[in-house]
Amino acid sequence: MSEQLEAYLGQARSLSELVETEFDKMAARARLLLTMEEAYGIRQIIITGSGDSYFAALAAASSIRAWTGLPTNAMVSMEASRYLDHGCPPLAGRNRGLLVVAISNSGEAARLVEATTRLRHLGAITLAITANKDSRLGQAAEKQLEIPIPAAAPAPGTRSYAASLLGVYHLGIRIAEMLMSMTMDKAEGLRRELRQTSVGLNEAVAVSEPLMSKLSHAWSTKNRMDCLGSGPSLASAQYAAAKLIEAAGIHATPQDAEEFHHLNYFAADPEDVPTILFAPSTGLARNRCLELIDALDQLGRPRLIITDDKDYTASHDVLVLPKVQEAFAPIVHAVPAAMLSAFLAKRRNEIHYRGHTGPWRGAQNAGLVRNSKLELPN
Amino acid sequence: MLKNFKLETNRSGLFDVTPLVEEALTESGVLDGLLLVSVPHSTAAVTVVSPWDVLGLEDVHDEICRLVPTRIDFKHQYDTPQDAAGHVKAALVGHSKSFFIDQGKLGLGHSQKIYFWEFDGPRSRSVQVKVIKS
Repeated sequence: MSEQLEAYLGQARSLSELVETEFDKMAARARLLLTMEEAYGIRQIIITGSGDSYFAALAAASSIRAWTGLPTNAMVSMEASRYLDHGCPPLAGRNRGLLVVAISNSGEAARLVEATTRLRHLGAITLAITANKDSRLGQAAEKQLEIPIPAAAPAPGTRSYAASLLGVYHLGIRIAEMLMSMTMDKAEGLRRELRQTSVGLNEAVAVSEPLMSKLSHAWSTKNRMDCLGSGPSLASAQYAAAKLIEAAGIHATPQDAEEFHHLNYFAADPEDVPTILFAPSTGLARNRCLELIDALDQLGRPRLIITDDKDYTASHDVLVLPKVQEAFAPIVHAVPAAMLSAFLAKRRNEIHYRGHTGPWRGAQNAGLVRNSKLELPN
Repeated sequence: MLKNFKLETNRSGLFDVTPLVEEALTESGVLDGLLLVSVPHSTAAVTVVSPWDVLGLEDVHDEICRLVPTRIDFKHQYDTPQDAAGHVKAALVGHSKSFFIDQGKLGLGHSQKIYFWEFDGPRSRSVQVKVIKS
């Protein structure tokens, strides 16, 4: 158990160094991925993936929409695969204006390979963000942005998530720069801010570790949790919920900060549903999140507010992370999300992924997601 | 002496830097010699134009854009189409201009001002002035 905890904490602690070492290489690879003619032909961007890769897509989509001015959406791989082409035959190049960005660290997620193959057949420009360009995804896509990451002891995806985020942010900034929807100076400014998250990640580790350890003690017997956020922070909520499930086996639900008021707000026994809210102080959902904190107060839910300004809320249950702009907040949010899950797994004596044994044995070697039958066009 | 001025361009086009250059000359105290205005950029240039009709300045910029339009099929793909066109424009115009100094005055006529010519604005730029005594 201690070894498992250290491996997981080690991944979270290593994110700063990962950004430092990989940043320039990714920026250089992203620069010449698309030609100007290709970039100027793009009319829509779909970023797709499953699990952590989908969260990375979700984290970046709204920012890339703002930077490029292009309709940009994150999509789970099943929707991208089966519900974009609807099984219709390709329309002879008329879909070239669609850029499909497919994210998978291993490059072996079956549904994403299927989506990429089908959408390339449909005429889209397909671009894989993957650590393995020789994977099935790498082979299926027309272009590849490699995001290889130095090996670390195994734990629920943390470094791979951060690498996917870096890759997709770099790609979005570069497309905006090529389209001149932002100047080269502004693009460089964004790259500098993105690189600076390495400093923020170090600080995030320092402030998160003691608080997440303490909180894991208070919440160790809770079997349900809600993780909330909006915009890029909805991706953080999704990521946090995923880590709680994978590492600690807790039934955690991610939800948008607005939707919560319509839905999970009404969950019974609120005192037994700890709630984590990701709320950057300068986020566009700022005021709604403050209202949400009041609602949590009234419900009596145990809660943790993760923000970046100590004056943002009067709540006592606050983790104050270093300030980064809302677009890049998911990178630093990964630290407390991973650490809380790591400590909760230890306190609950849970083996990550239930050890892929017993009723969970079907997940061995990622068979559940890699071996699904591909449905490809003839 | 070498004087370095910072310039934030808010667009592409011409920016009058004559007052900056005259300031550098006055500061140098040189009465007789040469003065060089140079820009350490590859998508900007230095030129001399008449300042009296602002539309004339626009004509000058419009014409170079007509000669070298911003296109997406430049072989240089590393930055942006405007940057690629800017390299060509800057190469055609040149990155420096020299002027003689006589009795402490710049060798400029009544209808001549010195302009920083931005081809990839908005950008953070520099203008360098070197004064050499005879």
